Amino acid sequence: MRQALAHADALYNFARWLARDPVEAEDLVQEAYMRALGAAPQFEPGSNLKAWLFRILRNAFIDRRRRSQREASSRYVEDVDADGEPIEPAISELQLDQIRALVAEDVSAAVHSLPEAFRTVILLDLEGMTEAEVANVLGCATGTVKSRLSRARAALRERLAAYRP
Amino acid sequence: MDCSKARELNLDGLRGRLASGSAAELREHLSTCAPCRDHADAERVLSEVLDARLPQHAASLALKRRLAASWPTSSRAAPAPRRIWRPAWAGARAIAAAAGVALVVGGSTAFFVQQRSELSQLESETVNDHLRMLGGTPLAQVAGGLHEVKPWFGGKLDFAPAVRFAGNDDFLLQGGAVEPFLDRRAAVFVYKRRLHTASLFVVQADGLAFPTSLRAGIVRGFSVALWKAGGQGYALVSDLNLPELLDLQAKIASP
Repeated sequence: MRQALAHADALYNFARWLARDPVEAEDLVQEAYMRALGAAPQFEPGSNLKAWLFRILRNAFIDRRRRSQREASSRYVEDVDADGEPIEPAISELQLDQIRALVAEDVSAAVHSLPEAFRTVILLDLEGMTEAEVANVLGCATGTVKSRLSRARAALRERLAAYRP
Repeated sequence: MDCSKARELNLDGLRGRLASGSAAELREHLSTCAPCRDHADAERVLSEVLDARLPQHAASLALKRRLAASWPTSSRAAPAPRRIWRPAWAGARAIAAAAGVALVVGGSTAFFVQQRSELSQLESETVNDHLRMLGGTPLAQVAGGLHEVKPWFGGKLDFAPAVRFAGNDDFLLQGGAVEPFLDRRAAVFVYKRRLHTASLFVVQADGLAFPTSLRAGIVRGFSVALWKAGGQGYALVSDLNLPELLDLQAKIASP
């Protein structure tokens, strides 16, 4: 029991960044745990519990978005992966200094401005998950994760470099 | 190694995830390619900024209580130590009972066994709880130093935290608190060094993966140290740099 509940903070943090709303984030976490209880017999012993819980939570989030028809999440993901190799403009030393000087609010705004698929892969990476674990959460190939993470980080750097307080 | 490959490997290289051969090839390429070196610098700066500045949101205590209340107990789990986690949620017992049956029928007791990540879960919990402390958890008065803090825990915990370090000029003891830590209550000692805050969580270590020898490292930008002594688990966390945190740890762990 302790092992699953120990991920509550990490799951809530992920939910907050996905939903952008504390109340919806709490609902998502509760829904994820209830789904996990229902699906417990399908959990494979020895596999990654954290990645499994994150996957359940993200699926719950996508289901909600689809139900509310506010955002077609699956199409969204395809879109961000369909743009080919990342093309990242060079970032000058001056811009790196500007990025270093940003405060939490600026970084937070930049992350929120990313497409959901980019935001997700960055947050899972920050959780310390390997590419294989992120692929497990997202239900995609490891190569897709690598490419998407690279593109997401490039997009975030670009936004941070362009930020003017 | 070409530039495309080098940029693909830069992030793994910064994180020390490359095999020695690939790491050497990458180093060689970066030594002669300024654009790829700039790319590596940009990756490093982004990681530093995200680690240090991206806000982390911790689940509220109310949410944790609701989750715990809805979660079935297991014969393999350690005894629930405190009533703070008891059900307060409508219908929780029925849900817990139904879910418990599902778990047993499904033969999924292994669901609770995930030793590989237990240490990282402890580290993650330590950082999350520290963030909650920084968020304004009220501290017990400590005008009389440790002699006031320790008796204050009496009646609030079912164990006596073994902490003798009363603070000094470098690390001022700011106060104490009782806070949830995973499924149990922790005695929290808060020390200050300049503008930095360090939280020490002390719990009964039964059933938790506290290492018998010191384990220290950086977790999400925070310095974290875990160790076990005398049946109690110690989790020390701060935004101090790691050597300073280990200095404090040595003082706390000193007999």
